[in-house]
Amino acid sequence: MSDKASPPAAKATRSAIDRKSNAGTTPDPWEACVRIEYGGDRSLAWSVREEVIATPPEGHAAAEARLLKALARPDGTDAGRAFVCQMLVMVAGATSVPALAALVRDAKSTEAARYALAAIPGPEATAALRDALGALSGPAKAGLIGSIALRGDASVRYALAGIKDNPSEAAIVREAATRALEHLANAKA
Amino acid sequence: MNPSTLLSRRDFLQKTGLATAVAAAPLILPSGLRGQNAPSKKITVGIIGCGNISDSHFPAILGYPESVRILAVCDVDKERRDESAAMVNKSYGSSDCKAYADFRELNRRSDIDAVFVCTPDHWHALVAIDAMRNGKDVYVEKPLTLTIQEGRALVDAARKYNRVAQHGTQHRSMKRFHDVAEFVRNQGLGKLDRIECFIPPNNRHCGATWTPEPVPAGLDWDMWLGPAPWRPYTSLGCHYNFRFISECAYGQVTNWGAHYLDIGQWALDMDNSGPVSVEGHGEFPSSGLFTNSTKVDFTVRYANGVPMHCRTRHDGGGTVRFVGERGWLDIARNKMSASSNDLLREMQASGKKIQLPLSNNHHENFFDCVRTRKMPIADVGIGHRTTTVCNLGQIGMVLGRKLRWDPAKEEFIGDDMANRLRGRAMRAPWALI
Repeated sequence: MSDKASPPAAKATRSAIDRKSNAGTTPDPWEACVRIEYGGDRSLAWSVREEVIATPPEGHAAAEARLLKALARPDGTDAGRAFVCQMLVMVAGATSVPALAALVRDAKSTEAARYALAAIPGPEATAALRDALGALSGPAKAGLIGSIALRGDASVRYALAGIKDNPSEAAIVREAATRALEHLANAKA
Repeated sequence: MNPSTLLSRRDFLQKTGLATAVAAAPLILPSGLRGQNAPSKKITVGIIGCGNISDSHFPAILGYPESVRILAVCDVDKERRDESAAMVNKSYGSSDCKAYADFRELNRRSDIDAVFVCTPDHWHALVAIDAMRNGKDVYVEKPLTLTIQEGRALVDAARKYNRVAQHGTQHRSMKRFHDVAEFVRNQGLGKLDRIECFIPPNNRHCGATWTPEPVPAGLDWDMWLGPAPWRPYTSLGCHYNFRFISECAYGQVTNWGAHYLDIGQWALDMDNSGPVSVEGHGEFPSSGLFTNSTKVDFTVRYANGVPMHCRTRHDGGGTVRFVGERGWLDIARNKMSASSNDLLREMQASGKKIQLPLSNNHHENFFDCVRTRKMPIADVGIGHRTTTVCNLGQIGMVLGRKLRWDPAKEEFIGDDMANRLRGRAMRAPWALI
């Protein structure tokens, strides 16, 4: 290489600074997706969604693990956790149940967690929903009862009968229990 | 449809300003209390949802003052329900029509025979099922439901409670669509090659981000959301625009697809079945409030090999085209054309071997069936099958891969992810039970 082609030292230094000044590292969408806010930029979450949807069945367990890792981040937002749970609806299996079982018992996260649990087939998710009955109250408990009934979990009949007849339960919860018992009876018939 | 349906609610109020001099209405008893078969008895009606789509129902129903009476309206938006009740009372010259904020209160009234479900899509199933459980016949706006599972539950409820249940696909009561479906069914086009549906474009533009706003006075936002996942209020994502947000609706795929795909189903004799596969590609926005596809393109294929395409049309309204070995027929609400005039003449000829049921007015057909207990022209069983086709298209576009569908079992074959998208868990306290 000739001397003419070699950049002066000062120019080389400026170029290095320019390269570094443009932007920071691209965020990892799998980490950023749990930090989205309602109304904010959701484009990184969208990248995750596209990847989850395109994942073949043999890759669901890996995608599930990445989503659970995101869900466990302490800096997650309500909108972010709701998004991750929506993704879990598509790929989650029994592996997700312990994490979701903890979230469904918490009034702050119960909705999103229940949506994901309801989509998971198998006795583990059924048990997680059933076990959360004692942890919730009011509308959240009524919604939980509905999800339990839709799974056809007949083992919960006794507990539902108790809720239905318990005057200390909110009216909306007692009504949900009544409806769930009817649903289970019809399903059996 | 009654020409008066072209009037908006406000237009109607203005144009009927002189009607206030009408004498106070006589006591109204629901037909159910006095024998539904008696033609002289008034059918009593409640309308749930007083937004955009109800504007086509109020004038139509008020057009039958001798036989139908609106006794109640309901909306979670106080301004809308009060305005609607005032319009009805002004029309009747009375104060009988009561406004409700909660549909469950309206549904529990024993003096109401039938309920019109005119809410946003994500509410259709719950409101209609609750009405039928309380003994009401229902007219459910299209699309029948948001999800496939909701549709099946709604149809099951209609059968369980033995209710007359009409789907609001009024093309079934327009002679032009009837004639085309009947002509195709009778092999008028020869062997059918394909069906092409075009629907209007989706999604207005509202930017890459949005700002939560205070909930307006008089709007019960929690109840507006109902079974949909919680999100903060924005005026961009409430009235009318809800259809562009996939947690509430599937855009024009279900809004207009419910009409035009329905005629394809009718012509193919698929009212109790459906396609066996779907493949699609949608262009979904990666940012912003609206999440439904801005460009729709999917194909469902039936067991006889005939495909039905559905695509966005950016230059106009909806249409459905049947293409066969003898030519093509293209039909929309306000026009019809064909590859030859001979086809149009043949289509009008009488004496066809297969004759489809004929209705010339969707509201009248519903009210007639409420009296006679016959099956309406667009029974919800038919509506569920058509809405399922819309859902198949939506799911096919979301997943972007070919899916096989079993119309008897109403499940995808060999695709667990697709099957999970047939339904949704509802926000508490709501549930599909």
